Amino acid sequence: MKSNAISATGAASASPRMIAPQALEADENGRPQLVGGKCASCGALSFPKAEVCSDCMSDAVRPQLLQGEGVLYSYTTVHQAPRGWRVPFVLGYVDLANGLRLLAHIQARPEALRIGLSMRLATGVVAADEAGTPLATYVFTTPEERHA
Amino acid sequence: MREVYVAGTGIIPFAKYPEKTLADLGWPAVREALLESRVQPKKIGAVYCGTALGGMLAGQRVMKTLGIMGMSIVNIENACSSGSSALAAGWLAIASGQHDIVVVVGVEKLTRFNGGMVPLEHEDWEVNQGVVMPAVYAMRAQRYMHEWGLTARQLAEVSVKAHEHGALNPNAQIRKRVTVEEVMAARPVSDPFTLWHCCPTGDGAACVVLASGAAARELGAATVQLVASDITSGLYTNGYRDMTWAELTARGAHEAYEMAGVGPQDIDVAEIHDAFTIAELMYYEAFGFCERGAAYSFLRSGASSLGGSTPVNPSGGLLSRGHPLGATGVAQAVEVVRQLQGRSGAHQVEGARLGLTHATGGGISGLDHGACSIHIFKR
Repeated sequence: MKSNAISATGAASASPRMIAPQALEADENGRPQLVGGKCASCGALSFPKAEVCSDCMSDAVRPQLLQGEGVLYSYTTVHQAPRGWRVPFVLGYVDLANGLRLLAHIQARPEALRIGLSMRLATGVVAADEAGTPLATYVFTTPEERHA
Repeated sequence: MREVYVAGTGIIPFAKYPEKTLADLGWPAVREALLESRVQPKKIGAVYCGTALGGMLAGQRVMKTLGIMGMSIVNIENACSSGSSALAAGWLAIASGQHDIVVVVGVEKLTRFNGGMVPLEHEDWEVNQGVVMPAVYAMRAQRYMHEWGLTARQLAEVSVKAHEHGALNPNAQIRKRVTVEEVMAARPVSDPFTLWHCCPTGDGAACVVLASGAAARELGAATVQLVASDITSGLYTNGYRDMTWAELTARGAHEAYEMAGVGPQDIDVAEIHDAFTIAELMYYEAFGFCERGAAYSFLRSGASSLGGSTPVNPSGGLLSRGHPLGATGVAQAVEVVRQLQGRSGAHQVEGARLGLTHATGGGISGLDHGACSIHIFKR
């Protein structure tokens, strides 16, 4: 699997650093794709990519591109968080059709959100480190936001 | 397995004590429990100290202050279940015949972190992505509200009940009563939670002395027996999970009931892990105090209030008594033992004979919770 660099959108000034660069790749159009894992022995999927399969203990877990769409299982607007996080922010659990559930930042207006909504993968700035460098990661957005 | 009795109890009022050391929080609770039990220090076979963030050798730091050393001292970390896990270790030491008398202490000083939320483990994937404990419980609450039609206003009533009880408990960190309106209007933490939906951070310590049947009879302390001791861990999945059902607690409750030979209808008083309002409702269901989806009706009926059929958290619970992590499980044990002995004053549950404690927690990716420890006490 080729590893294209992924860059975050929405950065104000300094170029953002990815929180978990190993979890993202860019496709041929530069759009983000999630990288998880698939066990070569039993086929179990993981995100993030597991070092050892939690279903069969095989250590042959290969990188696996995951779909970028899912359904919002639950979410909350977080108003209080450790220093560095840009409050308020929305966190949610997004269910992928392949059975994985991901915790992710949801970048959408909270009033546009509801449980069961279809979500799509993007990237976004969510925090800053102690030096002020913006930190970006995978996020999910609503259909409304991605057409805006 | 041998019978295990509680021979003595000790607790300090939960509060913020930034000027005190961990050892200075711990020793008064141990001293009180030892004096109450009339155990001679040289008869102590082992000390089990629960602390989540107290640092190395917490038990030694507490015990050396009292000048009681030389026995086995083991420090136990299991997040919010650290104290109750220490209790389980103490139970096993007596039940197995290894020791006749042990000391179990839970102690925590959260003011060392200068306020704010409890720091989580940064090796954890979701912590690294920004998850905080209030958000995890808040997402459970949002999903529960979605599935069962619970409203934010109804959820706020859990906090009102907790603080009604805590106002009667001299050892509670927060002794202020609150109204639904005050809960709703407080500073938002993680929707639907405001500050009053969340347990406070603070400092505390509690201690119980456990004894075998023979040792307890010799001390004249064979009144409250520990009839079930259970520790379970969460099941791992990176897939879907019903976040409105406290699977880990339900599994632990089943094991503990079986061990004690009792059922939910037999429980007279319960101290459960209400770190956030939604947790109390979900645990009513997990313990079988009511049917699934019926937790709010159970609360609303008054069944879980003082004077009800199954008073839950007469101490005020984590929401009001406070939640210094490692101290919580032992404080719950002190509370239930004193309830069964009729010593709880203004927040006494009349005629309580069978009581339950429950401490669960630890936020790590892929688990309901890290640990869950449940104990059942019988007079």
